[in-house]
Amino acid sequence: MKYDALVVGGGIAGMESSLKLADMGYHVLLVEREASVGGRMILLSKVFPTLDCASCISGPKMSSTVNHPNITNLTYSEVEGIERREDGTFRATVRQKAKFVDWAACTGCQDCEVACTVAVPDQFNYDLVPRRAAYIAFPQAVPKKAVIERAGTSPCTDTCPAGIKAHGYVSLIRSGKYEEAFQLVLDATPLVGTLGRACYAPCEDECTRGDLEGTLPIRRLKRFVADRHYDQFAGPGLEVAAPTGYRVAVVGSGPAGLTAAFQLARRGHGVTIFEEAPEPGGFLRYALPEYRLPRDVVAHDIANVTALGVTIVTNTRVEDLAVLKDQGFDAVLIAAGTQRAIRLGVAGEHLSGVMSGLDFLRAVRQGTPPDLSGRRVVVVGGGNVAMDAARTARRLGARETTVAYRRSRDQMPAHHVEAVDAEREGVAFQLLVAPVEVLGDDRGAVSALRCTVMRLGDADASGRRRPEPTSREITLDCDVVIAALGLVPETDAFEGQVDRDAGGELGVDPTTLQSRVPYVFAAGDVVSGASDITRAVGQGRRAAHMIDRWLHGEPLDGFAALDDRVAVVDKTTVLARQQSFTHRESVAVANVFSSAPHDFSEVERPLSESDALAGASRCLDCGVCSECQECVTACPADAIHLDAHDEVVTVDVDTVVVSTGYRLFAADHKPEYGYGVYANVITATQMDRLLAPTRPYNTVLRPSDGKVPERIAYVSCTGSRDTTVDNPLCSKICCMYSIKQNQLIMGALPLADVTTHYMDMRAAGKRYDEFYEQAKAMGANYVKGRVAAIAEKEDGNLILTYEDIENGGVLTDTEYDLVVLAVGVQPNRDAEHLFVNDVLRLDEFHYVDEVAPDLNPGETAIPGVFVAGASSGAKDIVDSILHAGAAVAQAAAHLERSRTGVTREEVMS
Amino acid sequence: MSEARLRDRREVIREEPAMHASIVRALAEGPLTIPQIAAAIGEPPNEVLLWVMGMRRYRQVVEVPDADDEGFFLYALVQEEE
Ligand SMILES: Cc1cc2nc3c(=O)[nH]c(=O)nc-3n(C[C@H](O)[C@H](O)[C@H](O)COP(=O)(O)OP(=O)(O)OC[C@H]3O[C@@H](n4cnc5c(N)ncnc54)[C@H](O)[C@@H]3O)c2cc1C
Ligand code: SF4
Ligand code: SF4
Repeated sequence: MKYDALVVGGGIAGMESSLKLADMGYHVLLVEREASVGGRMILLSKVFPTLDCASCISGPKMSSTVNHPNITNLTYSEVEGIERREDGTFRATVRQKAKFVDWAACTGCQDCEVACTVAVPDQFNYDLVPRRAAYIAFPQAVPKKAVIERAGTSPCTDTCPAGIKAHGYVSLIRSGKYEEAFQLVLDATPLVGTLGRACYAPCEDECTRGDLEGTLPIRRLKRFVADRHYDQFAGPGLEVAAPTGYRVAVVGSGPAGLTAAFQLARRGHGVTIFEEAPEPGGFLRYALPEYRLPRDVVAHDIANVTALGVTIVTNTRVEDLAVLKDQGFDAVLIAAGTQRAIRLGVAGEHLSGVMSGLDFLRAVRQGTPPDLSGRRVVVVGGGNVAMDAARTARRLGARETTVAYRRSRDQMPAHHVEAVDAEREGVAFQLLVAPVEVLGDDRGAVSALRCTVMRLGDADASGRRRPEPTSREITLDCDVVIAALGLVPETDAFEGQVDRDAGGELGVDPTTLQSRVPYVFAAGDVVSGASDITRAVGQGRRAAHMIDRWLHGEPLDGFAALDDRVAVVDKTTVLARQQSFTHRESVAVANVFSSAPHDFSEVERPLSESDALAGASRCLDCGVCSECQECVTACPADAIHLDAHDEVVTVDVDTVVVSTGYRLFAADHKPEYGYGVYANVITATQMDRLLAPTRPYNTVLRPSDGKVPERIAYVSCTGSRDTTVDNPLCSKICCMYSIKQNQLIMGALPLADVTTHYMDMRAAGKRYDEFYEQAKAMGANYVKGRVAAIAEKEDGNLILTYEDIENGGVLTDTEYDLVVLAVGVQPNRDAEHLFVNDVLRLDEFHYVDEVAPDLNPGETAIPGVFVAGASSGAKDIVDSILHAGAAVAQAAAHLERSRTGVTREEVMS
Repeated sequence: MSEARLRDRREVIREEPAMHASIVRALAEGPLTIPQIAAAIGEPPNEVLLWVMGMRRYRQVVEVPDADDEGFFLYALVQEEE
């Protein structure tokens, strides 16, 4: 794209520059970082010395800028770099930040803001009031369109293999929207209750709050909303799309199969699940023990699937896929899991009393447990199945239960909590042993397990130290050996129909999950090998998405839930947003363990409502927007799309105008004034907002308690003319804006006393001194002398200590109930980083340097680059507009010279 | 003289949605000033001001027109439109 001029910064100087150039017929690209043009001026109450309303005079300029046919506006965009080319023109790279709102559709109704569940400080009100993650910059924004602040995907959400929006449901719970939280999880999977209990919660390992006092109870929060929903509602409360006429067969009713069936049914497809076992649920029903996952919870979750019209045919083993095709199914999903246990592979395995962990757990859940009372049980293996088997054995009355594992405790693949809980329930661990033989008695029953003692050698490919046999052996006396060495798919029946690897895992494309037979897809552990519920759910979702696209003849892509997430936010950035964090204790785990558990009642206690609220309130809103979807639902124009991405554009221009403005002095750099420590010390920019027609409060209120202030002090020159903060310059505007505010306060609060403590009053120029005199005549007080310190009283009032120069220089204390710091301006050093292959020179105060400020204002050290407004030094509005005029005249001259090829010297000669 | 540091403003503001329920409960009986709401819910008035102003902005509470003799405004719940 090609423009005559690039203007960087859409404040008053940038708008003025753009308008003037555009009026001359040049094509201008205006890039503004925020979501509206207007800069700081539009945030002001009134302007000195005329007391014109800032919005009234700025508003028309803003609309002319946005509507001018020769100006292209890129708001909510940042210039990443400008390269000066050999021929003296420029190439600029501009990042258009994703707005997540389709501005063509957005009507500016604010419904998204009202619905949003995330509150952040409003930068346009200088943090005096909350705004929402979904926001319109300010009421007079031009364009008046919403954006959504997303710093990235939150770590909890980003890490979930099922693509569940963890941050989203946390923020909904915090807002008391429990059913909405349930629905947000349900949108991903029907297994809300199951995941609220049996998920290993990788989100909690990533939670940024874990770097402070500990993670949020993210999983238990999900259980909280699931329990509430199942208590209160009979069904999922979902609508399904109109029937498509397509039929899909799903083989297996575990997490992958159930999730896929649910998602396909929502899209209007006819789904039948074929399940070999007598009841649906896969491992949820037949492996996970009841004390971790009660069967009624699984039943509720499965009812979410059948409520959508999915048929589940049990006691039916599928072996021939072509038969399904012949029965009229358009697509088949194999989600058969890992049904075969890895054998011990040692002598004595045939003895009575040896069983696999899976058979053992299945028998228990089918109501036919082996009799273990008073018996000694050894469980071989160190994974979660081993822990489940050992804890189940304890509940069946085993006298001793020992887990025998060939590596060390910290190398056990079982989830840390599972191993700790097993120990609490009286399970013993025999580490660094590998079985070599099961010994039997003369009746053919197990009597002991002979093991080699191992030691840890060098690290293997996984980085873990490899166990190596020693010459020593031990014998563990026992009556039962449970082998929990791992699970693999049992897919022999599919040999020759779809690809299988040596371990039985089915071969499919990892992104589309499609097999080499186009109508056959596979998902879950049957593809990945034994994993966990969330991974199986993620694959089930993916499979449903791809099957749906395949049925409609669409390309197999676009699975945004997992493949196209916005990049994860960096935790250090999250923690750096705050100066301090209040210690907030993690919600305690109140589970009661018995060293001799005797029944299968659920071990984990639910969160109370107050615990859930307290737990959710600890969330740091890492990604800012939580992806809770409330705005998406609320938006009447269907304008919100949370899967948008930044776009980078490259433009060629002949001249550049830098109008990036100024920064405000950070008042906490003068600690003696107590800003950020005393509630009733505010800055003058905050006061300007309190006085503006679009003010954040109903009137001027003091922040400590909302009282209308009666005695207000101004401290002028805060951060200006002050070498202790490295700023010798006068900020030029502070005296005049203080006088303006003094007058406005007396208008708004007729009973208030206003006193300004000043060093010199600088009111030079037409109507400025008269403006000062007018304030005095209205009753404003002016006391000459610098304020040395401010202290706070118990009631929030403030004692100012100052030198009263006009009364003999005595040190005086005076009490006020609100103090306003007239903060100065500072250079915005962003300008320094705009150019990539040339240096935009700064002056000794770090403002953009003008090479000849007295003769050619606006001209910078780079030919063809001009500076307008406060980027080159403190200026009020009138001066900024004048300066922009000067810069634009220079820019236009440059454009003309470069067109005609005539240099300035040639013109002059 | 008081020494108490203010809590980080971002943290206080982030808690606003979680405070809605208790503020709404406090106002259910009738309008209250910021210090009265603070006393009712057991939170500091400077933080309550931020939360109430957030709720005012998004049309959940509104001020009663005149301040009382002490200079405090009363805030009331906005009645849901039928
Ligand atoms: C004891 C144990 C505890 C676990 N605990 C947890 C936990 O707490 N958290 C966690 O995240 N993960 C846990 N897991 C792992 C988790 O259960 C699995 O990762 C998940 O169930 C895999 O889902 P899936 O749908 O792929 O397979 P499955 O759940 O195995 O479901 C497959 C279904 O297909 C059926 N089937 C198989 N072949 C056929 C066929 N030919 N025709 C018809 N039907 C067929 C099977 O009967 C089964 O019902 C645990 C696993 C076990 C064994
Ligand atoms: S998804 Fe939720 S948190 Fe994000 S902007 Fe929308 S309403 Fe706010
Ligand atoms: S602090 Fe909140 S958003 Fe951040 S990772 Fe934890 S739960 Fe997720």
